[in-house]
Amino acid sequence: MSLPDFQVLRPRTNAEAVELLARHAGDIRIIAGGTDLVPSMRQKLFTPKFVLDIRAIAELNGIRESAAGLSIGAMTTLAAIERHPAIRKNYSVLREATITVASPVIRNMATLGGNICLDTRCLWYNQSLAWRKSCGFCIKKDGNLCHVAPGGTKCWAAFSADTPPALLCLGAQLEILSPQGVRIVPLQDLYSGAGEAPLKLASTDLLAAIHLPAASSGLHGAYKKLRIRGSIDYPLAGVAVTFRNGAGNPTANSIMKDVRVAITAVNPAPLLVREAAKQLEGKPFGEATAELAGELAGELAAKSARPLTTSALTPEYRKEMVRVLAKRALLSLA
Amino acid sequence: MSDFSVIGKRTAMVDSSGKATGLGKYADDFSVPGMLIGKILHSPYPHARIKKIDASRALALDGVVAVVTGSDAPNKYGILPVGHDETALAVEKVRYVGDNVACVAAISESIAEKALELIDVEYEPMQAYFDPEDSMKATSDLIHPEKPGNVEKDYHHVFGDPDQGFAESDVVIEGRYIANEVTHAAMEPHCTLASFEIDSITGNQGRLTVWSSTQVPYYLQHKLSIVLDMPMSQIRVIKPLVGGGFGAKSEIIPLEIIAAVAARKAQAPVKITYTREEVFWAHRGRPRTIVDLKTGVKKDGSIRTVAARVVQDGGAYCSYGVVTILYSGALLGALYDIPNIRYDGYRVLTNKPACGAMRGHGTVNVRFAFESQLDEAAARIGMDPAAIRNRNLLKPPCLTVNNLRVRSYGLPECIEKVVTGSRWAERKGKLPRGRGLGIACSHYVSGAANSIIRSDMPHSTVNIKVDRDGGVVIYTGASDIGQGSDTVAAQIAAEVLGCSMARIQVIAADTDLTPVDIGSYSSRVTFMNGNATLRAAQAAKKLIAEAVAKRMNCSPEDLIFSDDKVWKKGAAEESVTVAAAAPTVSGHVEGQILRGSVQQKRKDEGVKERMSFEEAVVTAMDIQGTLTGVGSYAPPPDARGGKHKGGGVGPSPAYSYSAQVADVSVDEETGEVTVHKIWAAHDCGRALNPVAVEGQVIGSVWMGLGQALQEEMVWKHGLLMNPSLLEYRSASGVESPEIECYIVESIDPEGPFGAKEASEGSLAAAIPAVANAIFDAVGIRLRESPFTPERVLAALRSKKAGAKKLQLTRNADPENPGSFREHGGSLCFKGKGPVRHALDPAMVRPGTTADAAEEMGGAD
Ligand SMILES: Cc1cc2nc3c(=O)[nH]c(=O)nc-3n(C[C@H](O)[C@H](O)[C@H](O)COP(=O)(O)OP(=O)(O)OC[C@H]3O[C@@H](n4cnc5c(N)ncnc54)[C@H](O)[C@@H]3O)c2cc1C
Repeated sequence: MSLPDFQVLRPRTNAEAVELLARHAGDIRIIAGGTDLVPSMRQKLFTPKFVLDIRAIAELNGIRESAAGLSIGAMTTLAAIERHPAIRKNYSVLREATITVASPVIRNMATLGGNICLDTRCLWYNQSLAWRKSCGFCIKKDGNLCHVAPGGTKCWAAFSADTPPALLCLGAQLEILSPQGVRIVPLQDLYSGAGEAPLKLASTDLLAAIHLPAASSGLHGAYKKLRIRGSIDYPLAGVAVTFRNGAGNPTANSIMKDVRVAITAVNPAPLLVREAAKQLEGKPFGEATAELAGELAGELAAKSARPLTTSALTPEYRKEMVRVLAKRALLSLA
Repeated sequence: MSDFSVIGKRTAMVDSSGKATGLGKYADDFSVPGMLIGKILHSPYPHARIKKIDASRALALDGVVAVVTGSDAPNKYGILPVGHDETALAVEKVRYVGDNVACVAAISESIAEKALELIDVEYEPMQAYFDPEDSMKATSDLIHPEKPGNVEKDYHHVFGDPDQGFAESDVVIEGRYIANEVTHAAMEPHCTLASFEIDSITGNQGRLTVWSSTQVPYYLQHKLSIVLDMPMSQIRVIKPLVGGGFGAKSEIIPLEIIAAVAARKAQAPVKITYTREEVFWAHRGRPRTIVDLKTGVKKDGSIRTVAARVVQDGGAYCSYGVVTILYSGALLGALYDIPNIRYDGYRVLTNKPACGAMRGHGTVNVRFAFESQLDEAAARIGMDPAAIRNRNLLKPPCLTVNNLRVRSYGLPECIEKVVTGSRWAERKGKLPRGRGLGIACSHYVSGAANSIIRSDMPHSTVNIKVDRDGGVVIYTGASDIGQGSDTVAAQIAAEVLGCSMARIQVIAADTDLTPVDIGSYSSRVTFMNGNATLRAAQAAKKLIAEAVAKRMNCSPEDLIFSDDKVWKKGAAEESVTVAAAAPTVSGHVEGQILRGSVQQKRKDEGVKERMSFEEAVVTAMDIQGTLTGVGSYAPPPDARGGKHKGGGVGPSPAYSYSAQVADVSVDEETGEVTVHKIWAAHDCGRALNPVAVEGQVIGSVWMGLGQALQEEMVWKHGLLMNPSLLEYRSASGVESPEIECYIVESIDPEGPFGAKEASEGSLAAAIPAVANAIFDAVGIRLRESPFTPERVLAALRSKKAGAKKLQLTRNADPENPGSFREHGGSLCFKGKGPVRHALDPAMVRPGTTADAAEEMGGAD
C-alpha cells in the first residue's frame, strides 16, 4: 500500500512550524513519530497536501524539571519517558501506562504528543480504502452512516491511547501554540467526545509541551490495560487510578485523598470518572477496606464506559473489564 | 547414534547466514530491468455478476502500461484436477469480497494504485451465502452453477459396523464442536515476478521466467502452462528463499498467475507483492468447521465407535477442499485403535475467501473435537485421561479399519514422556482451583501416498553430481520454505558419502535446473526427498566404491566412507604423513594449482588401503568420466490405501505421533487463560537434525496455541473484519510459554535413516490439550475455539448461580455452540445491528435471514 502524494515541510523552530501550519491550514498534517499517522495515510484515511515533520525542532524535545513540576516536550519519545528517573519516581502512573503502549520498537519512535493526539479507532474505520469501499464507508470518513450505532449520526470510534488516562489523573496541562500565541489547556478540555473529530485542536495548533504539576508529584498510581496479546495490542479498555496519602505507602488506616480514576478505549474520549473520585475521597484504604474501595471504583468506572462494537471483543466484555481493571488497579496499591 | 557422523547431529541450516544477514533473497528482493508493478482491483461485493468493466480512464493515466481482466486469460485452473474452478481474474462474476477483478501494470506502485480507482466496474449483486449450513439449502444464485446446494463435495464413509459399536458401548457421548477460521499468517507476504524473454528467432514473446514465493514450483509451472497455453518447457519457475508457507503457498495463488498474464499483455516484466490485507483475502487457511461427534466407549476405556459429521465453510473456490474434507475423516484412524468409524463430510462453498491447506491439513479441528470428547468419555467412566489414551493404542504393524498402514508407532513413548515430564500422576486433578492440566494426542502423515495428480511418477527425484575436487552438488526439486529441507538433503548426502557438509551444495527448486519434486506440503519432503537423496547419494557412492575397490584390491562392500576418507575395513592406522597431506575442503592443503599433479602422484603410488575422499573421487572419475547419481522415491503400493471413494487421501508411508500436556491457569474474573508450560513429545522416526525437529515441534505447538487462545478470522457479511496482523492476533513471544520438547525415535523401516515427519503432527494436540486443561482448572468444557477471555468468562458466568451473564453475539454458549455466527461471537451489536448503506455490498438481500433477529436483542 503506497502513501498518498504529499510534500514534507521540515521547520527548525516552533515559530516556523506555526507559520507553516497557518500558511497551509486545512491542507496540512503534523507528523511526530509517525507510528499512527503513516499507517493511516497508507489506508488513505488522511491525504494531506503537506506533512509537517516536527522532529527537527529541538525545543519540542526533552523533559525539564522545575519547581512548578515537570514539563515534557511533545516530541519526547515514549521510550525516553519510560526511562526518565523523575517520572519513574514521582509520576509512576505515567510510566506504567507508557510501557503498555505498542511494543518497545514502536515506543522508540512514538511520542507523547502523538499519543495524546491519537485519532480514535474503529474496526470499520482503520481499514484500507478498498475495504472501506466494500462496506459503503462510514460517518468518520467518506460516508454518512455508522456501522456500530445503527441509525446514529454520531461516531463512536474509541479513543485508544494509553497515556491520557494516566495524564488525566496527574492533572496534566497542555501548552498549545497557534498563530494567536500560546495557550495552556487542561488535558480533559482537549477531547471533544465526538469520535469523528476527537480533538478540540485547530489545524493551525501545535501541541508543544505537557506540564505535570508539582502538586501531582508522588501520587500513588496504577494503570491496567485490557489486551489480548501481552506484547502489542492497542487497549481494548484501560483504567488509571491515583490517590495520595500522607504517609508513604498506604497503610491499614490511611485515608484516600485527591482520588482520581480515568478510563480509556471505551468511549470516544478518555474520561475522568468524577463520581468515583467524589465517592472515594476520604475513604479508608488498607488491607480490610481496599477491596470495598476497589469494587466501588470498578462499578463507577464501568458506568462511565460506553464501548460499542469498535473492536474485536464484545462491548459487554469490555465494560465488564473496566470494572475489574479499576478494582485491580486500586488493589495493586494496597 | 554414534554410528552416524552427520545424521542426528545438531546442524545449522545451510541457508541461515543469508537469512540472518539480509543477503539472502526472497521473491520481493528481485527486480529486472524495465520491471512494472502490478496492483490488483478486488471485488467489493461478496457475490455479483460483472456487467461491464471499463478501464479506459485507468489506461489514460500517465505511467499505466496495461490493464488486464478476466477475458485476457479465461482458462480455468485449480490445485486439484477435480477443482479447476479459478481463473486468473474474475470471468463473469465475483464470489467474495476481495475476489480478483482486474490488474493494472504501471511504472510505480502509487500510479498503479491510483489507476485502480479509475477502473469502472458495473456489478449486479447476487444472493450471497456466508453460513455453510444456510448455503447448503441454496437453490438459486449458486456460487458455482455446477455445484448444486453449494456443496463442493460430500463423502459418506462407513468402516466396520458403527451401529453395532455403539450398541456395545457402555457410554456414548455426543456433542457439537466449532472451530473458527484461522489463517497461516506467514511472515513473508506472497510475491511473484514474471518476466518473458524475447525469442531470438521470431522476435515474439518467448520463454517465461517466474520468481515466486511458493511451496510448489512444479505445480505453478504446470498451472501457468494451462492458463497461458504454453508448454511447460517454455516456463521456468524459480523459488527463492521463502519466508514461511504453512500451506498458504502450497497451491497456486492468484497473483502468481496474474503477474504472468499482466507481463504478457504489458510486454514487460511485472512484479506483484501482496499487501497483508491481500494475503488475508488470498487466504487458503483452515476452514471454520462444525464437528458433530459421537464416541462410544466401553467401561474398560476401549473405544468402540466414532461417528463424525463434519461441515467445512470452504469459501468461494475448491482449492484443496476435497482433500481437506477427506483428511478430516481419514485421520480419525491411525492414531488409536478404533474398530468402527462413520464419517459424513461436507465441504461447502460460501462467499468468502477460499480455504485451503494449513499446517495439520484437515486433521486439526476434528482432533480438537475428538480429544475433547475422549476426556469427557474418560470422566464418565471414571478413567484417567492419560490412561484412556494408553488403553486404545494401535498394535503395529497393522492396517487400520479404514485401510491406513501403520508400521512405526512411537505414541506410547510420547505419552509416557509427557506424563512423566509434567508429573501428571502427582499433579493432575490435585492443583488448586483455577489451575489445571490437560493431555491430548495427534498425528500426521509423512507425505501423501498418492499425489494430487494421480500417476506412477515418482514423488521426488534427485540428481547428485560429484566434482573432481570432491565437491558434491545436490539438484533437488524440493522446496525449502524455512523448514530446512535443503539442510536435510545435504546431511543425508554427506552421511552416505562420508564427506563433510562443507563439500555439499544444494541447488533446489528451479524447474530449469532441478528434477521434479511435487512440493513442500503434507510433510512429505524429509521422507520422500530424503529417500530420493539417499538413493542418489548411494548411486554416486557405488560408482566411487567400485573404482576405489579396484585400486585397493578388495570388493566395494569392504570399503568404509567416513570423515572425508575411504578405507578398506581393517586397514592399518593412518600414517602421520598421509593424515597431514589429506585434503579437506578444496584448496585447503595443496592448493588448486598443485592438486592435479598431487593426485596424479598419489595414483602412481600403486595399491593402498586408504584414500582421501578427493582421491577416491578422482579415481572414480578416471573410469567414469562424469560422476553422478540419481535417485527417486515413490510410495509403495501397499501404503496407498483402500479402494473406496476418496480412499486415496489419508494413506501415507508413515505417520508421526505426538502427545502433549498443557499446564494452564484461568483467571475467573477476566476469563484470561494463561498457558504456563507445554510438554510436547513427537515421534519423528529419527531426528536427522534434532535442532530443526525441536524448532518444528515448538513452532507447531505454538501455532496450535494461537488457534486455541486468540486467532480467529472475524466476519461480517463476508467482510473480513480483521485483515491485519494487528487485529488478527497471532501470538507473539510474550504469549509463548515454555515448550519442553521430547524427541521420540521409532525408526521407521522406510524413512530415510528411519525418519518421519516433524513439522505438522504436533499442532493439533495443542488445542484440545488446552481445552482439557481449562476443564481441569475451572470445570468448563469449551466446545468452540478459540478460547478467548470473553468466551471463557461467558461460560464461567453461565455456570455460576447468581452471576451476571455475559452475552455473546446471539447469546452463543461456548460450551454448546449451535451454528456459526457472524464474528464467531467476538463482536456483537445491540439493537438492530448495522443499518446498511445503499451501496453497501454486504447489504442483506431478501431471502437471507434478517440481521435483526440474529444479533442480540435489547436496545442499547
Ligand atoms: C502496531 C501498533 C500498536 C500500537 N499500540 C498502541 C497502544 O497499545 N497504545 C497506544 O496508546 N498507542 C498505540 N499505537 C499508536 C501509536 O504508536 C502511539 O499512540 C504513539 O504514541 C503515537 O505517537 P506518534 O509520535 O507516532 O504519533 P504520529 O503518528 O506522528 O501522530 C499521531 C497523531 O497526532 C498528531 N500529532 C502528533 N504530534 C502532534 C503535535 N505535537 N501537535 C499536534 N498534533 C500532533 C498527528 O498529526 C497525528 O494525527 C500503536 C501503533 C501501532 C502501529
